[in-house]
Amino acid sequence: MRDVMKHLILSPQGAVGLFILVVAALMVCGGAHIAPYDPESISILARYKAPSAEHWFGTDQLGRDIFSRVMVGARATIVLSLLATLMSMVTGAVIGTASAYLGGKTDEAIMRTMDAVMSIPSLLFALLIVSTLGQSSFNAVLAITIAFVPGMVRIARSVSLAARQQDYVSAAIARGEATHYIILREMLPNIVAPIIVEATIRVAFAIMLFATLSFLGLGAQPPEPEWGLMVSEARAYFFNAPWMMLIPGVAIALVAIGFNLLGDGLRDALNPRSH
Amino acid sequence: MTASYLFKRFMLVIYTLLVVSLLVFGITQLLPADAAVTLLGQNATPQALAVVRARLGLNDPAWLQYWHWLRGVLHGDFGVSMRNGLPVAPTIMAALGRSLLLAVCALLLMLVVAIPLGIWAAVRRGKLADMLVSVLSYVGISFPEFVTATLLLLLFADVWQILPATGYVPLTEDFRGGISHLILPSVTVAMILVAHVSRMVRSEMVDVLQTDYIRAAHLKGLSRRRILWRHALRNGLLPTITIVALDVGYLLGGIVVVEEIFAIPGIGRELIVAVQARDLPTIQAGVLILAATYSIVNFLADLAYVFLDKRISYA
Amino acid sequence: MSDAVLAIENYSLDYLLPQSEPLQVLQDISLSVQRGEVVGLVGESGSGKTTLGWSVMRYMAANARERSGRILLAGEDLCQMSAPQLENLRGGKLGMIFQDPGASLNPTLTLGEQITEVLIRHRGLDARQALELGIQLLSHVELKNPAAMMKRYPHQVSGGEKQRVLIATAFACEPQCLIFDEPTTALDVISSAQILALFARLREETGVASLYISHDLALVSAVADRVCVLEKGHIVEQATARTLFLSPQHAYTQKLVAAVPDPAHRLTDATPVSAQPLLSLQNINIDYGRHGLLDRLLRRENGKTRAASDVSLTVHRGEIVGVVGESGSGKSSLAKALTGLVPFSGKVDFNGYNLSGRAEMDKDYRRRVQMIFQHPDASLNPRQRIGEIIARPLRLYGLPEGENEAQAVARLLEDVRLPASFARRFPHELSGGQKQRVAIARAFAHPPELVICDEITAALDVSVQATVIELLLELRRRYGTAYLFITHDLNLIRQIAHRVAVMYRGDLLEVLPGEAMAQHASHEYTKALLAAVHTPEKAITEHL
Repeated sequence: MRDVMKHLILSPQGAVGLFILVVAALMVCGGAHIAPYDPESISILARYKAPSAEHWFGTDQLGRDIFSRVMVGARATIVLSLLATLMSMVTGAVIGTASAYLGGKTDEAIMRTMDAVMSIPSLLFALLIVSTLGQSSFNAVLAITIAFVPGMVRIARSVSLAARQQDYVSAAIARGEATHYIILREMLPNIVAPIIVEATIRVAFAIMLFATLSFLGLGAQPPEPEWGLMVSEARAYFFNAPWMMLIPGVAIALVAIGFNLLGDGLRDALNPRSH
Repeated sequence: MTASYLFKRFMLVIYTLLVVSLLVFGITQLLPADAAVTLLGQNATPQALAVVRARLGLNDPAWLQYWHWLRGVLHGDFGVSMRNGLPVAPTIMAALGRSLLLAVCALLLMLVVAIPLGIWAAVRRGKLADMLVSVLSYVGISFPEFVTATLLLLLFADVWQILPATGYVPLTEDFRGGISHLILPSVTVAMILVAHVSRMVRSEMVDVLQTDYIRAAHLKGLSRRRILWRHALRNGLLPTITIVALDVGYLLGGIVVVEEIFAIPGIGRELIVAVQARDLPTIQAGVLILAATYSIVNFLADLAYVFLDKRISYA
Repeated sequence: MSDAVLAIENYSLDYLLPQSEPLQVLQDISLSVQRGEVVGLVGESGSGKTTLGWSVMRYMAANARERSGRILLAGEDLCQMSAPQLENLRGGKLGMIFQDPGASLNPTLTLGEQITEVLIRHRGLDARQALELGIQLLSHVELKNPAAMMKRYPHQVSGGEKQRVLIATAFACEPQCLIFDEPTTALDVISSAQILALFARLREETGVASLYISHDLALVSAVADRVCVLEKGHIVEQATARTLFLSPQHAYTQKLVAAVPDPAHRLTDATPVSAQPLLSLQNINIDYGRHGLLDRLLRRENGKTRAASDVSLTVHRGEIVGVVGESGSGKSSLAKALTGLVPFSGKVDFNGYNLSGRAEMDKDYRRRVQMIFQHPDASLNPRQRIGEIIARPLRLYGLPEGENEAQAVARLLEDVRLPASFARRFPHELSGGQKQRVAIARAFAHPPELVICDEITAALDVSVQATVIELLLELRRRYGTAYLFITHDLNLIRQIAHRVAVMYRGDLLEVLPGEAMAQHASHEYTKALLAAVHTPEKAITEHL
């Protein structure tokens, strides 16, 4: 574990990615405390103020302090996306590994079905689910989770297959090891790393998807300070107060970049042979 | 290419479409709200609701409803919109046409930019140009379409005022106007795709340039130009077909967002409006058609790949 | 040296490393190759022989730094030449023939194009002339139907044919000097003998000067006039092949020569083998692939491949039985079947156990029949420490009396001559030979009665191979274990096996006594195989 962290910090992608994410984590945990103003407090007098010493990111059309909203909104945007990715990762890993181990017709049937499900693009899938369940943050998270599962199953299965064909698994079978030992102790440690890398990169996509759904009015609902929703609400005013839209938009992009970089950095750090 | 491979692959497309139709119908069937209530409103009388339920076939078992719907779809009838009472099929098909135009523009734009970019980065691997492309692609894949779109709108329609902000003009009416309305939306969708595809192309080309046969070509004294154009590209670009086909999925998603922002009356816009209005038939039709398009694109890409890859053709 | 086509004078090369001292790959190399001469370059991994070959071709890694020396081709220093000048030379006057013909040909271009492009480039021909000349060249390397061959793609022809095409390409522009980088390693024994014969003929005709790089001392001795032995970047000895084998001067050469498997030099002691059969195979069939219900309904061709067909073999207690054959002979499938990794049909009798399928192999059987795999990197789980890897069988089968786990692991490591501290390490920190010894320790954790060795030394250097074999023989002496030793190395197996089974395309052709294979061989294939193999004895007597 310590070796992994060391290699991560030494690589440029890992370092930058980690830095961005540490900042993001601080925002998530301490956002509400750092925020100087209440993100939902309206002030008619302070509307459309450009960024200044008093309001670092300016204010929006209702006079709410954007800096505070961004700080608190971090929780909504990032945590929920992380949750969706985590859930889909676990589900996908279980199904994918089992499919690879079972092999044969079962494996083929599962994979063909996953491929079929994946032919519905993620955004459309999420749209479908949200249209059924209703528009809220929770439903958006559920939608993203379900939409991500087939992709994770594919990755987990291909990685499991590669591990399954290694001689050390054959050696374990030849020794007479029990199935659960082989899957848990021989295969899983070698599978976990690539899946984590993939999941990290997926979080970036989840964040973007969640923000997009909120932007379209299908995810977080007002007055939540979710970043995608903030961009959507700011659209009408972007001629007068462009910062209202730019700042949350750039925030989304930065966090997504951070996760992408971290994912790439992890890929190198977790590979014991690349040292 | 054997007939049996074609047959198997085609059967797979059928299976895929079947699963998609089941999913689309199945998910929308889990509606907590009653379709009849949505149509008539909360204050409708129980008798009126019962009449509508019977008319919509909501009392039939689920599989029967599915069967009726599927049969309709196969005959080109997607039902009637619950929002405005008009038949869904003509509206959707017209909207699809406009979306396809946008999609094709974005795709062409992406290919023209991403492939040379990826090749260039691979040839200049490790040097400044490669790093530049790498940074740009990180940024490119991290900006959601709605952020890029709004930024571009800000720059081109507001600050510099060279392009129209929103709206759509059919090409048949006014070609120049039509094109100018399509530029910003296409660029927005293409950006994310360019970032993604150029990365993949670069990765493939780097792999190819490190193979033994490229090394052998160098050691035969062939010119660098010949090695790149005659030896490397054919091997590196073949997988690009698959990559681009897979990215069409992102393309379709991006189109939905972009049509909303730029007010283009395509299938994406119809879908968003339908979702907000809980217009079931339109939602079902929209998603089904887009998923079918994606599936068919991948099918064609597979065929093209098999046709072009000598190893599989002769196997 | 005035006559030399290729002359390397005091050449030194380093690799610059990011955070440490530069790695000195080649140091003060001096050798020369005359017209029509073949100079062999022999060394193990890390000796720098391949790097030297690339340096002559001027194909340098990005972090390579030449410290000193010159490389002269017909008197001109290659190190001083510009890129365009080198481009003119390469493929023309200076050529290279690579190890893996499959990997060195572009899969998306026809063979014809890959020859004609060289002719167009270096001999200024136009497309039509190049095509005609190409066909002539292909027939000159004994390829049947050369005109059709020009239109084929690499995946449509065999390994031997591909190598002939590459040789034709190299000789196409009348080279002065050719570098051969292990050109027969990827081919089967009989094909590689044919290729070497072809090369000898072409060399006679053209008088090309050749540098032949290889790890196989016996083979190089058959091919080369003089041999240079390379150790860690130094040339330690240069002499004719005969001299090298008969009276090696340098300590390293002596070690190398001693390690080369010599069928005349028997390693297994003469203790009589028990007459008691330990393992008996009867009519074993192994099939791969599926022929499912749908396939049968559609009357499709049976897609199953028969990996092993009607194999019957006996292994006695304490005996070493070799199984030799080329790839595709079914020998590995046999190993996998016996350890329950693939299904089989037929009867297996092990020490009273009667098995007709892998479901019947219980833990006790598996304890007594162990397997060691070919690739040490792949057979040890990269995420487990060595100690854990060795402890696994102990946990599965029980600890020996009076020892706890840590003690048992330390003892096993000592048995395979590795320091006990290795238990804390991960596999990637060990060398190939060390990893293989860990695999042996794991197999012997609970002394088995039979160990199946599936090409366990194929991926190792010859000196490392010698130590591993020595270790196996010692363990046999101690525990009385029998071995089923699968290999393609005929020389090695004749040193250690009591009996040798010869397999070809799934059939067991014959079983011969290990020491006297040549005398007793009756099958045509076996005789061809034995004739094609290079031994030290042949190196000394045949080559003049």
